Amino acid sequence: MAETEPRTLVDAREESCPGPITDLAKAYRRSKVGDVIELWATDPGVKADVRAWAAKTQNEVVSIEDQADKVVAVLKIHRR
Amino acid sequence: MKRVLIIGGGSGATFLANTLDRRRFETTVVSDSALHMFQPGLLYVAFKNAPVGITRAERRLLPRHVHFLQQDVTHVNLREHRVRTQAGTELTYDEVVLATGVRTAAARIPGLEEVNAQFGDYHSTIEQAQRVWRHLAEVRGGTIVIGQGAAICKCPPSPLEGALLAEEFLRDRGLKSRTKLVYFTPYPRPYAAEGINDIVAPILRERGIEVRTFFDLDRVDTANRTIHSIEGEQIPYDLAFIVPPFIGAPITYEPAEVLDEDRLIITDKFSLRVKGVESAFAIGDGTNLPTSKAGVGAHLEAKVVARALAAKPARFDGRTHCPMDLAYGKGTFVVGSYAAPTVKYAPSRLNHWMKAAMARIYWISLRGWLDPLFDVYFRLTAPEKLAARQAHRLRPAA
Repeated sequence: MAETEPRTLVDAREESCPGPITDLAKAYRRSKVGDVIELWATDPGVKADVRAWAAKTQNEVVSIEDQADKVVAVLKIHRR
Repeated sequence: MKRVLIIGGGSGATFLANTLDRRRFETTVVSDSALHMFQPGLLYVAFKNAPVGITRAERRLLPRHVHFLQQDVTHVNLREHRVRTQAGTELTYDEVVLATGVRTAAARIPGLEEVNAQFGDYHSTIEQAQRVWRHLAEVRGGTIVIGQGAAICKCPPSPLEGALLAEEFLRDRGLKSRTKLVYFTPYPRPYAAEGINDIVAPILRERGIEVRTFFDLDRVDTANRTIHSIEGEQIPYDLAFIVPPFIGAPITYEPAEVLDEDRLIITDKFSLRVKGVESAFAIGDGTNLPTSKAGVGAHLEAKVVARALAAKPARFDGRTHCPMDLAYGKGTFVVGSYAAPTVKYAPSRLNHWMKAAMARIYWISLRGWLDPLFDVYFRLTAPEKLAARQAHRLRPAA
């Protein structure tokens, strides 16, 4: 995948309360339009949260992928 | 004798200093405050006008053999094991434990400092908590907004606890029909962890508290009395009790890379060692550990560090066990760990009573005398076991 966007990796694996969405919210606060955020998490609830977050904030879920040891969500920031 | 320096004077620092073996360690505690505050008490000062008796002299909470210095640490050189204070004192150590906590940082959000100064907050000082009460007590109508100003929050249940206790107050005073209570959060649901959200979301609906999710506070327009989110929404207010963002202590570190952008200490989540340096641990709110910032966490982390210092096997499992007041005499606990999701823990009067009891036994718990009991309690309430019991209990109600 040829990419030139700055990509922020957010590693939220094995996080307990309040969970990966905290890290996503923090990364969003620091982001600007055009940024790509890649979120790693082990909490299974993260998929629904990421979709809901993107719908609410009008940002794009590029992909959500189940890997052997984690869920990887890639988000593109369109609105800040 | 190994020289252990503990920087901080909160529950983790105090408990650790009490539990280190005096025959093996020469322990020094250095804190910027002579007073130790039972911080969860601020919630009750703010929303229940509780009598203020939530501080004690730190020196009196420490055993006599522990040295105590009330000084502001300004520099920590983790490479050379040297610490400097504002008064110019130089300290050295064999092992250091950073228990430096967090401070409120309202200035990070435009307008928030002004709002916190006007209406108070319940995460900083007794005076600020009393300011919340004075404003709440004067309410005759209008919109009260309560919420969490940033993703990282000291005591994650506390923003919701404030909203629930405010609602109880308004109902007691017969003001429900004339007031609107709005709760906002940057999270996708009222409580970030799903197990507890399953408990609190219906309660919020029943009590008529309007919830605005994904509301990541961007700025407060004090002239027009509205709060605005990064997501582009706004909420008008007559009264606003907003939990400010939190950042780590204003200490300069060498190497500087041990801090993240919120000045939190980058800490290995299992060993609790400060990343990239030798002979340094970090515990409590001042770390970047992916777990709740709460006294119980600091306590459990201090136990892990005590074992590590004694060269015993030591691994932190991310355990949280935070009491949450649901108002009207009921409570729940936020129980989870790195490996176990937060338990759906049914509200009960017993849980509320336990939270109240903790306020009474807090000072004794710092001495470590209750730990044999706590160890049994935490084993019995391990999230995996608790989840199984609660699933059984919650089934008939579903």
